[in-house]
Amino acid sequence: MEKVRKSYVLFMAVVITALVFAGFSSVSAEFPEHEITIVVPFNAGGASDMTSRIIATGLQEELGQTVLVVNKPGGSGGVGMSEVRASKPDGYTISYIPVEIVMHETLELSDIVIEDFDYIGQMTLVPAALTVPADAPYETVQDFIDYAKEHPGEVTIGNSGAGSIWHIAATLLGEQAGVEFNNIMFDGAAPAVTALMGGHIDAVTVNSGEVLSGVQAGKLKILAIMTEERDPAMPDVPTMVESGFDVIIGGWGALGVPKGTPAEVLEKLSAALEKATATKEFSDFITQRGMIVHYSNTADFAVFIEEQSEFFTNLLSNMELGG
Amino acid sequence: MLESVMSLMEGFSVAISPMNILYCFIGCFVGMLVGVLPGIGPTEATALLIPLTFGMEPVSAIIMLAGIYYGGMYGGTITSVLINTPGEAASVITCLDGYPLAKQGRAGVALKVAAVGSFVGGLISIIGLALIAPPLAEFALRFGPTEMFALLVFGMSMVVGLMGKSLVRGLVAVFIGLLLALVGMDPVSGRIRYAFGVNQLVSGLDLVTICMGLFGLSEILVGMENLYIHNKTSSVNSSRLEKGEMRPTVMSIIRGSFLGFFMGLIPGTSSAIPALISYSMEKRLSKHPEKFGKGAVEGVAGPETANNSYVGGAMIPLFTLGIPCSPTIAILMGAFMMHGLTPGPTLFIESPIVVWGTIASMFIGNVILLIMNWPLAGAWAKVANIPNKLLYPVVLIIAMLGAYTVSNSLFEIGVMLVFGIIGYVLKKLEIPMAPIVLVYVLSEMIERSLLQSLKINKGFSGLYSSPIALGFLIAAVLILVLSLYAEFRNKKTDFLNDSDG
Repeated sequence: MEKVRKSYVLFMAVVITALVFAGFSSVSAEFPEHEITIVVPFNAGGASDMTSRIIATGLQEELGQTVLVVNKPGGSGGVGMSEVRASKPDGYTISYIPVEIVMHETLELSDIVIEDFDYIGQMTLVPAALTVPADAPYETVQDFIDYAKEHPGEVTIGNSGAGSIWHIAATLLGEQAGVEFNNIMFDGAAPAVTALMGGHIDAVTVNSGEVLSGVQAGKLKILAIMTEERDPAMPDVPTMVESGFDVIIGGWGALGVPKGTPAEVLEKLSAALEKATATKEFSDFITQRGMIVHYSNTADFAVFIEEQSEFFTNLLSNMELGG
Repeated sequence: MLESVMSLMEGFSVAISPMNILYCFIGCFVGMLVGVLPGIGPTEATALLIPLTFGMEPVSAIIMLAGIYYGGMYGGTITSVLINTPGEAASVITCLDGYPLAKQGRAGVALKVAAVGSFVGGLISIIGLALIAPPLAEFALRFGPTEMFALLVFGMSMVVGLMGKSLVRGLVAVFIGLLLALVGMDPVSGRIRYAFGVNQLVSGLDLVTICMGLFGLSEILVGMENLYIHNKTSSVNSSRLEKGEMRPTVMSIIRGSFLGFFMGLIPGTSSAIPALISYSMEKRLSKHPEKFGKGAVEGVAGPETANNSYVGGAMIPLFTLGIPCSPTIAILMGAFMMHGLTPGPTLFIESPIVVWGTIASMFIGNVILLIMNWPLAGAWAKVANIPNKLLYPVVLIIAMLGAYTVSNSLFEIGVMLVFGIIGYVLKKLEIPMAPIVLVYVLSEMIERSLLQSLKINKGFSGLYSSPIALGFLIAAVLILVLSLYAEFRNKKTDFLNDSDG
């Protein structure tokens, strides 16, 4: 009996000490004191969702707090991003920020502007690639453009939806090369790639990851990738610039918090993000999905997003949607 | 063929290992569970569980995730039958006859028939997947936007059969469906229609939310009117088929198996479509079409079979060409890639163990699901005996939770409530619900594929130059003409016999 009581007292002592320490640490510790939520403004299972889930596990290790991922899809990302914008600027509610944020205002998708957020940093680059059927008569971008010039308005290029980044990529290529393409909108990149494999359209300008299995199956070939440098995952594929066309365009993924978040919180998150993007797990996943790991910090990204906003706003205003 | 059988045997030797059977069971069980819960479906569940499979063997991971997919098809039936609230999109149509059956005290029949149908459909489609996958996949690729449009028009022509007694009321339902489908972004120009500045409406309305309101909530509202009147139509829990029901049920299961398998092959369809088409087809072929909507067993058997055999069909383009045909398959494809496997023709050569192990596990999984569902059907059926005043609050809570999980927002609950009231009004006006759902599902895809086809071909030429498309369009016209003719002939006799019009 005595023994039981003793062990009980000992147990309580341990519990109380633990509680006191926990209490102390929560008083003295700085950010983060409790769990953090990343809001993904798209459905579960997409590239942005998976990126967020992987990075959440990395951030969790760095910050020592649980990092939850919640999907709030709708309105081309507008629903989720508005919700984060309206949340308390304390760093506990983070939004996944897709490239589409710079187009929301111009395309009248929502009232979200880039100034609504402070940015923790960039995580990924999502390169666009010009892909054609493997048995197509052209081997280079020049061949393809020549063919398009001989058949004006006839060459069909599939994209993942009206005003999507891949639609804009095709339009930019057409503008730079001085040809007119017949843009066909699909509901996402995968159906566009399927139509390409079935020979219903002539080309797609979607993310290289989406066409990877088609290329490996010997049904498709990539003519060029629209990044500044070649993708290390596919060293044989030339860039558009190498092929003689000044087309650099692609998607990206970043993390943002509501405007007005304290600088030291932002710094801490940004440092954690840098480490989380550097893990092997993250880079393996991103590379397999045909994306490129690209970390940039708060200051660098602020400059970049400003440039992107200007670039896309100009491009979109020249481009008649629905054409 | 013989080679396939040999490989399949090897696959079984992988799938039969205790660990893999355990993973298969976990997958099926989780799938059942998320199928039962409205709002969260197999797509979300697979996405959420992928990170957990990191440390697993690739083949075990794929076995488990695939189990969630086809397990979900079984689970969705249960809530549709018992509380008129579809667990996921593929089971929406099951409400139409499953719930009336439950009200007659025959929930056990509905659930057992659905379980057997799902099993047979699953089995036939897996056999198809194992034996004749590659040539079928090549054929499926010939379905471009033009062919897709023709197929959907063919599906739409079936709507005539669902209109019920009055053509006018049926047409009202069709227009409501069309109107709802218009909400959201125009598929080609990106213009936003009927969103009224509300962010959440930009991407359109969610099918499951609409159906939870139209079917489940409106049922509660109607039931509230006579909450305290005890009119249990039948206290007998019969779980046997009646005389004369056997043959049509067996036939509908066989037809559903092939229909679902075929639809699964075609890129861009969803599991709701084969279920809808199967339902319309069964009603058309039935000797007693008037029983549909009032508890026809074929109306449950056909669609439930079709949505399960759809799964096996949809795996074919993934395994053979690396094409994801549906959202869940797209996530499964992500899982393959995460484990260093690229779906496509090379997969059969480079990692036959994964492919054949998965296919073999699907056989085992379907057996597990049948064993789980058969005895459970009786237990579930008892839910139908719970007094309404106790049942309704629970249903309401489940529906609200479900609506919330669709996009983690209160907005969806609001949408569901509004549709509950709309459903109530429609029921009072005797406007049939089935055409609303069918038209809603098909019309957005019809619009997109027609516009794509017109843009690719620069006009209507595609519609008659593609033999597949032409065939479907001719069939659609035939169905329309024949059923209108039949309708008019019936109407004549109806007018004579039916004095209250």
